[in-house]
Amino acid sequence: MSDRIAGIVMLIVSIAFGITASSYEASFGDPLGPAALPVMLSIPAGLLSLALILRPDPDPAWVTGAPLIRQIATVALLVAYALLLEPLGFLLSTFIAVTLLGRILLSGWAKSALSGAVMSLILFVTFDTLLGLPLRALPKALS
Amino acid sequence: METFALLGQGFAVALTPTNLALALFGCFVGTIIGALPGIGPVNGVAILIPLAFSLGLEPVSALIMLSCIYYGCMYGGRISSIMLNIPGDEPAIMTTLDGYPMARAGKAAEALAISALASFVGATFATVGLTLFAPLLAGAAIYFGPADYFALYVMAFATIGGVTGANPFKTLLAAMIGLMIASVGLDPATGTARFTFGSYHLYDGFNPIVAIVGLFAISEVLFYLETMHKGDREMVPLGRAIPRLRDVMVGGWAHLRGSVIGFICGILPGAGASLGAFMSYVVEKRVSNKNGTFGKGDPKGIVAPEAGNNAASGGALIPMLTLGVPGSGTTAVMLALLISLNVQPGPLLFSREPEMVWGLIASLYIANVVLLIMNIPMIGLFTRMLSLPQWILMPFVVMVSFLGIYSISNSSFDVLVMIAFGVLGFLLRKLDISLVPVILGLLLGSDMENNLRRALSISGGDPLILITSPIAVGLYAVTFLVLAAAFYLSFSNRRSQRAAADGQANPPV
Repeated sequence: MSDRIAGIVMLIVSIAFGITASSYEASFGDPLGPAALPVMLSIPAGLLSLALILRPDPDPAWVTGAPLIRQIATVALLVAYALLLEPLGFLLSTFIAVTLLGRILLSGWAKSALSGAVMSLILFVTFDTLLGLPLRALPKALS
Repeated sequence: METFALLGQGFAVALTPTNLALALFGCFVGTIIGALPGIGPVNGVAILIPLAFSLGLEPVSALIMLSCIYYGCMYGGRISSIMLNIPGDEPAIMTTLDGYPMARAGKAAEALAISALASFVGATFATVGLTLFAPLLAGAAIYFGPADYFALYVMAFATIGGVTGANPFKTLLAAMIGLMIASVGLDPATGTARFTFGSYHLYDGFNPIVAIVGLFAISEVLFYLETMHKGDREMVPLGRAIPRLRDVMVGGWAHLRGSVIGFICGILPGAGASLGAFMSYVVEKRVSNKNGTFGKGDPKGIVAPEAGNNAASGGALIPMLTLGVPGSGTTAVMLALLISLNVQPGPLLFSREPEMVWGLIASLYIANVVLLIMNIPMIGLFTRMLSLPQWILMPFVVMVSFLGIYSISNSSFDVLVMIAFGVLGFLLRKLDISLVPVILGLLLGSDMENNLRRALSISGGDPLILITSPIAVGLYAVTFLVLAAAFYLSFSNRRSQRAAADGQANPPV
């Protein structure tokens, strides 16, 4: 079933890809044009998706319960970290992210917070000071 | 003789203090990355590429550092196979079969030393092979025209799944996904914006490094979250620190057999180190398993796969450097590095940048010696790294990936793209769709289009040019044969599986 769903999704993507690509035009004499290769790709991609729909493999074991919640929480945490890195500053956002990740990985609050504090400092020194990547250390509101 | 002169120049490049220091650093970090379960060589090299940028290294230095990391990973993978019965990376799976039983029998230090020596023999064999064969292949590849390159890329995509028995439909679909992702952004020849949906962030297309780190490193974290409950890891005690020399020299001819088989597997497109280790083990078992000791801690069962996987990793560098077509996941990542450094691999690399090629090859010789020395007396240090708890290791990997990607363009957008690729990579791996063809498509897509475009410009738009050159025809023939073999194997596998399932009243859930 999973393969069928993936096949259907890929089939829709391939068709949309081919149709979108076929509208691309270049104004001057290029023998290939911007549309040719994407259109050429969409055809085998669509056929392979059909093959996936018609001859699916047995389903993989999908995750359920607590591990699934942990995975969703991790992805949400990563997205939030990416968005908050600039407004909150590196030290605070990394401290929070590492602490929560530690919790998700079933460590205790104290140990996670300690690793968060140590890691955010080490990484800040390594990347900002030693490697010269300009990072905002403190929240925007403070500076 | 010319080769030796060039190699001599290479040593002059590799032995400058900076490059030597980077090689040492690479070997050390690589061994750790290889040893830690959960960070394979692909992840390790991909995460460290941005680091090479932020250090502002010269292309040759960056390449030397990452190649040493690559070699180091291959040495390191065996450590957790032997100590924990968990392969540190995919090619090290075969080493668990005899390595762990031997360690359980109180000979952990011997097993580690034997495998270090086997790794050294395999990797050195492959490096010598690289020295001798790569210039020949590069010389031949000069005769390749654009149409031939197009055929070569078609072959690379069609054969990357190899004859491993994985569902060939899925492998091909994976390559298509990669190529489709590669066509996002401005078309280089006409300047048409393709699939950008009006977002200026997408005008440059997807940075392959962002995609690779997401696909491999982030998806690995998601996988770990799924399996973290199953099985506690219990480390075998190391025993005596430095084993006796005669306990180490038990491999004999298994070293050479493993090296030769591994090297050949490495050169073949799409086969790579895992197949090298597997084939070496299978052959060695047939040759030496006279008393039924294989699987119970036979030293030759450690020597063969270790020599095989290290020889294969060296061999895999040959198609990557000479043709610009990587044969494995890790070499695909190295190709991403070269492209990001504005170095175009391929036959011209050898004539245009001899300093880089030969410096790299010389540094591989140095890396091998360094790794052998590091891996016998210092092995205690690496085994201690294995007891690092995952709740420190995983966040660390995530944060370094984040900062590495953030350092490329200082934008959160790239980081979000990386997370999206991580989720995509997780879903694809769950569905048993290999990620290596995706990466290959992503990396080679624009080159493939450019060569097609050049070929058609030469012929004035006549598509017949694609099949008139004998080289191209030969490549298409090989493609066809490999594909036919892959489909045949996959179908016969399926049939036997179905027959087995029918034979049971209650198929296993």
